[in-house]
Amino acid sequence: MTWWLLRFSRSGSARYLSHLDTARALQRTFARAGVPIALSQGMRPKPRISLPLPLPVGAAGYGELAVVEVPDETPGRSAALRALHAAAPPGLVPDTIVVAGERRPRPQPCEAEYICSLDGDAGALTAAVERYAKEEHTIYERVSPKGSRTLDLKDYVVPTAIEAVAGEAKIRFTIHYREDGAARPQEFVDLIARWAGVEPAMRGLERLRIAWKGLPSGLDPGAGRSESQ
Amino acid sequence: MTEYAPGSPESSREDWPSDEVARLLARVTRPGRYTGGEFNVRVKPGASPRIVLSYPDAYEIGISNPALQILYTYLNDATPAAAERAYCPWPDMAVLMRAGGVPLWTLETMAPVAGCDLWGFTLPHELTYTNVLEMLDLAGVPLHAEDRGEGDPILLGGGPAVTNPWPLAPYFDAFFMGEVEHRLDAIVDALEAPTRARRVTALAAVPGVWLPGVSCAPAVRQVFMGFSSTPPVLRPVVPVMEAVHDRVVVEVMRGCTAGCRFCQAGMWYRPVRERPVDLVVEAADRLLTETGCDEVSLISLSSCDYSGIEEALVQVRALRPGLRVSLPSLRIDSAADNLARFAAGQHGSITLAPEAGTQRLRDTINKGIDEAQFEEAVRATFEGGFTGLKLYYMIGLPGETDEDVAGIARMAGTAARLAKQIGRGRARLSVSVSSYVPKPHTAFQLEPFAGGETLSRRQRLLREAMPRNVRVSFHDVAASMVEATLAHGGPGSDVLVEEAWRRGARFDGWSEHFAFAAWQTAADVSGMVLGESQLGGGGEAPWQVAVDSGIDRTFLDGELLKARCGALTEDCREGVCAACGVCGYGVEMEVLG
Repeated sequence: MTWWLLRFSRSGSARYLSHLDTARALQRTFARAGVPIALSQGMRPKPRISLPLPLPVGAAGYGELAVVEVPDETPGRSAALRALHAAAPPGLVPDTIVVAGERRPRPQPCEAEYICSLDGDAGALTAAVERYAKEEHTIYERVSPKGSRTLDLKDYVVPTAIEAVAGEAKIRFTIHYREDGAARPQEFVDLIARWAGVEPAMRGLERLRIAWKGLPSGLDPGAGRSESQ
Repeated sequence: MTEYAPGSPESSREDWPSDEVARLLARVTRPGRYTGGEFNVRVKPGASPRIVLSYPDAYEIGISNPALQILYTYLNDATPAAAERAYCPWPDMAVLMRAGGVPLWTLETMAPVAGCDLWGFTLPHELTYTNVLEMLDLAGVPLHAEDRGEGDPILLGGGPAVTNPWPLAPYFDAFFMGEVEHRLDAIVDALEAPTRARRVTALAAVPGVWLPGVSCAPAVRQVFMGFSSTPPVLRPVVPVMEAVHDRVVVEVMRGCTAGCRFCQAGMWYRPVRERPVDLVVEAADRLLTETGCDEVSLISLSSCDYSGIEEALVQVRALRPGLRVSLPSLRIDSAADNLARFAAGQHGSITLAPEAGTQRLRDTINKGIDEAQFEEAVRATFEGGFTGLKLYYMIGLPGETDEDVAGIARMAGTAARLAKQIGRGRARLSVSVSSYVPKPHTAFQLEPFAGGETLSRRQRLLREAMPRNVRVSFHDVAASMVEATLAHGGPGSDVLVEEAWRRGARFDGWSEHFAFAAWQTAADVSGMVLGESQLGGGGEAPWQVAVDSGIDRTFLDGELLKARCGALTEDCREGVCAACGVCGYGVEMEVLG
């Protein structure tokens, strides 16, 4: 068996898929392309495919990574990539395959760069981002069915640019991943929206780039794109 | 036709969707319901006529409907028309669409539904009727056909619920009765006429089409006699988000002549037509490749009765290692002999439908299985490897007594004992009990609905009598009352649907959305009583003026008499013609030799 790292992008209609649906769509794409995925052992074998960094529903991503185990007799990377490309659904675009060897790679995200579009008063949104930059701590309470957790968004999120025009703003920010986890894009956006007095519904969220660690040397499948293209 | 070529600009358009729609999608649950982008989706820019196909329920239900897949594939691949799809927006989306003034769009092009030439609805059952009105309103299409003008689409209804079109009659321009595959070309041709009025007139000339208030004779139910010689859909649209059914579907047989007296599908889809095994196996192979699924479902109204079932199972299972093959709709009498073989190597659960709790009542409904066959089927289920068994029953059948209801609990007890013996603690047993609603074109079509009070009392009775280790679930009696009222609805029953919709009734088949109070008030306003039939005396049914099902009325009356004395009618596949009236004039049974 061999492990592959597949870099792909998710945009267009596919950006509205959930994490599990994205994994399922990729699995389907492999099956349609005739590129087998190795199965786990046990009574209910499952395809050995995982997406190490979930992409939020509604977000486009341009440097997404899937870790896939394939049988040794699987066709070569180029042929497989062509077949995957032809078999993928609209908006899900396989981009690069890197062979990682026989040991399962365990890529960990270091940081990811996002850009989001928010509707609302451009001045107020700019002021909110400036306030965030000046604050020493920005405490956010994450509530989930498992309980609540308090985190300081400043430990994780760094806004890098804001482009404000009439009625909307595009905010670029970087999320840093630490041992204790990370903030979610929506949490930062919620805060900015609250301070700006606008609705925190993102019209567009894009993950432009992810930096990984834990990949074998020379096996970085690519870092997405650093600029909105 | 262009499909979204993977990797092409169209496949990942960054301006997609429009800002207007993106604002809505950011605020709703499961936005993937509204964005399309599935495998095998077809887009035909500039093609004409533009047809929108709808299933009036949530996306994840509608995308699994095989009928819509047949229509979508044929219209796009074999005619000049462009077929697109729209499903009923979930209430959270509907609120936002109204607030933002965004009309209902299609998944293929995001273009407004209202701009199409023909809007076709597959109508599955009565509890989706309010969703039809909801979709019309969200699309900005006038609710009533008489209010529509030149720029409005022609509304065409089809599917099982058109067996009685009256509750929706004023909202549709036309209804199609029966199987439409061989009439699609004619329907597309009819849309070439230069004006809307002439298009409707041309549509009326297509066999099987009935125009409310215009047609002066009932439309003859259409039977697709090319079923056996044509392959099933080979490139279905495959959802990328989770749907209720996630598997390859191959229709092996259409129609069923077992003759269950309550069963509308058993009458409506006669006669039996079977697909050759090689066609089934080839289709399954191709579909596995096209869809990437890892399960094949060989569907029909009673797959165990398909003559080629054993051969098809062996050959389909051999297509891929570890492939799961499922057989829905198993009748116990035909399944009992074969279940052990069918179940070999399978896991998961299976549903068996004894339907009634005593021999007397099973004979009444022409479900002639006995307790020994039942025990054999349960035993075969667990011995074969299935770990879950669901038993399906109905209460409220004509002639039912409390003793029949107690019989359901006794049978469940027997099954629980066998599950414990054979299933070695792993076997799970559940019982699902629905309320019987008399449906048009069956032997019981004019029988009264049991009524809410009786059904509630029998549900209590059954819950108390059921063994403790058996999980039992019941259908909502109130929903059945609405369903029964609409199933027997005559001219004027549309008022009930519209009044209920105006009072907020939506997604009535979903327990969390079913609003009985809205229906109750609507019934008061429209002068109807929920659960009470609108049928007048004289034995005439209102649907007879709209649809000629081909089933001989004398046959149905005879079946009712036989039901009352507990006499069985043999399946005509086994030699004796029951004279139901369907065969003749080019329509005949086609079973494998």
